[in-house]
Amino acid sequence: MSWQIVRALIAKDFRLFFRNRFFAFITVLALVTYIVIYFVMPRTVDETLELAVYAPVPPPILEQVGAQGLDLEFMESEEQLRDVVASGEYVAGVVFPPDLMDKLMSGEKGQLDVYFGTDTPDDVQDAIVVILEELAYLQTGQMLTVRVSAEMLGRDMVGAQIPLRDRLVPMLAVIILLMEMLGLASLISTEVTGGTVQALLVTPMTIRGLFAAKLTMGASLAFGQVVLFMAVTGGLNQQPLIIILALLLGAFMSTGIGFLVASGSKEMTTVMAWGFPALIILTVPAFGVLAPGTVSGWVKAVPSYYLVDAVHQAANFNAGWSDVWDNLLMLLGFDVLFVWLGIVVLGRKLR
Amino acid sequence: MSVRRVAILLGKDLKYGSKSFVFIMAIVAPLLISAVLNLVFGTFFSQTAKLGLTDQGDSRLADLVSASDSVQTRTYASTDDLRAAVKAGAVDMGLIVPQRFDEEVARGSSIVLPGYLWGESLAKNRSILVATINSAVRHLAGQEVPVNIETTTLGETQSVPWNDRILPFVLMYAVLIGGSMLPASLLVTEKQKRTLSALAITPTTLADILASKALMGVLLALVMSVVIMLLNQAFGIQPGLLMIVLGMGAILASLFGLMLGSLVKDINTLFAVNKSAGILLYAPVFVYMFPQIPQWIGKVFPTYYIVQPVVEISQQGGTWSDILFEVSVLAGLIALMVGLVIFSTSRLAQSEA
Repeated sequence: MSWQIVRALIAKDFRLFFRNRFFAFITVLALVTYIVIYFVMPRTVDETLELAVYAPVPPPILEQVGAQGLDLEFMESEEQLRDVVASGEYVAGVVFPPDLMDKLMSGEKGQLDVYFGTDTPDDVQDAIVVILEELAYLQTGQMLTVRVSAEMLGRDMVGAQIPLRDRLVPMLAVIILLMEMLGLASLISTEVTGGTVQALLVTPMTIRGLFAAKLTMGASLAFGQVVLFMAVTGGLNQQPLIIILALLLGAFMSTGIGFLVASGSKEMTTVMAWGFPALIILTVPAFGVLAPGTVSGWVKAVPSYYLVDAVHQAANFNAGWSDVWDNLLMLLGFDVLFVWLGIVVLGRKLR
Repeated sequence: MSVRRVAILLGKDLKYGSKSFVFIMAIVAPLLISAVLNLVFGTFFSQTAKLGLTDQGDSRLADLVSASDSVQTRTYASTDDLRAAVKAGAVDMGLIVPQRFDEEVARGSSIVLPGYLWGESLAKNRSILVATINSAVRHLAGQEVPVNIETTTLGETQSVPWNDRILPFVLMYAVLIGGSMLPASLLVTEKQKRTLSALAITPTTLADILASKALMGVLLALVMSVVIMLLNQAFGIQPGLLMIVLGMGAILASLFGLMLGSLVKDINTLFAVNKSAGILLYAPVFVYMFPQIPQWIGKVFPTYYIVQPVVEISQQGGTWSDILFEVSVLAGLIALMVGLVIFSTSRLAQSEA
């Protein structure tokens, strides 16, 4: 195997890839779009319910609501309260009448007026009513004999929640890698159909050299983009070595899958036909990061799970080598499997 | 027109056409768009507090908590399942309700409810869960709420959830790309590859070919629109009526596709025309996305008469009498489109003869 020939082939493949306007355009557009999506998403998580309050004589219990997940903003008049709620500035407004405490102390029922905006969801409206009722119970000294004692599972993230955009990063990384898989598969299938691969094999280029070139080209194209994406979005701020290694292994896996897709395709449309189902299946584990609890244990059977989990743990939880070594090992195993399978299946087609 | 020949042509289109880019896009794109839009606007990211319960006795606590809109409740058979669900983030908090809980509460005994708390749960969700559990326990204990709470919603317009607003868009996309773009692209491909001319010298008539393409479009549009409705849990209580409307929508889209396919010369022109016409075809969906836009604007566009009956049936529980006018207009549009297809394909028949 001549490395000079392999290098020449890699350079030619890069030129061919970017000559295919569809994939070249999609590659640049997708990368820019993902970065824009990341930056337009909120950078913080709103953990509290923001309420406007009008209370000429504030009940003492209001001093304790900070611990109840409520963020209260006191208004100067009921009219002001209605205006800010109607404008959507606050999800709700609560009016505590001046005689509330007198009534509660005398055993009479108090009256609370609660205003909601039209966009306040039903569950939030109900939750605010339930919380206000509980505050009223506490204000009247009606304590409960039942106490919840819950064991914390995982790190307590109150005050340090992961924004949705950072949960999205592993999914976008997987999509970037897999889009390159489609590009590589299209390139190979076009070459096979056009007979250029067969022509190459009658030159000093060996089949081993051919695969070395395709593997290097496919993996570096995918890896380069995904690292650029991660760097721009700040995804490499924590544990960069672990993330870079995981992405490199992911790039080799997507290249192996690209070989498999190419072996069953004739041109771009059949690449799409085979590639899209693969892309959809491989993005499923990322949904588990986006919305925890939505996917069950079977997701561990999807190879990209180990990439998504490693990137998520390292980038969002600062997980170290001892936390993610098993993910990286599994990823390496899938790399070997897919690259070997891809070479065998595609190699048969070429021979 | 021979039914047998139409069936053979349809089989051929299913076999070879199903590998085309448009066919794949007609299936994949609506599913992806539906998934992405649901992710962004739908219930997938709902921040409603979630409570898991494992009842070791026969407590009414789960029923009382479930009756509240403030939390979503799930029950688990065992403590291990509950722990796994909390650890995975499927629920924010998991509670183990011991045996004879209700009797102990009524007796005023001091009880500790063991459970699990997900580390990533939001502070407000923890408060809502504790308040909701306390409220249910106070109900069991027979305590009376010390305040009356009167709620008022400010503003004139009623809020429409975003997943309801985007349904018309996804539905229109599924109907139009499957119903119109597929028959159009199949017809254009036949013209480009000159297989239409080859078929013209066989006993197969142009009507057979057009019928097979139209059927392909109708079938795909109907299947995809049903899938979209199912995925969005929007089938409503009148599935038969909904199927009729979806079927009529698919027929109109397919006829439009035939007209388009017979008029344009190549795939590039077809895509260009589709892009230009897109704003007119999709215009009514903006009326649903932004209720501030006057409803009458949507009525100007033909596709409104596909979307409106579907929205009426699926989101407002509409019946025949509610959609009669729109369905009549839709039937009229189909008749008009049949005329346009006959006119446009007569030119095609002359050129291929």
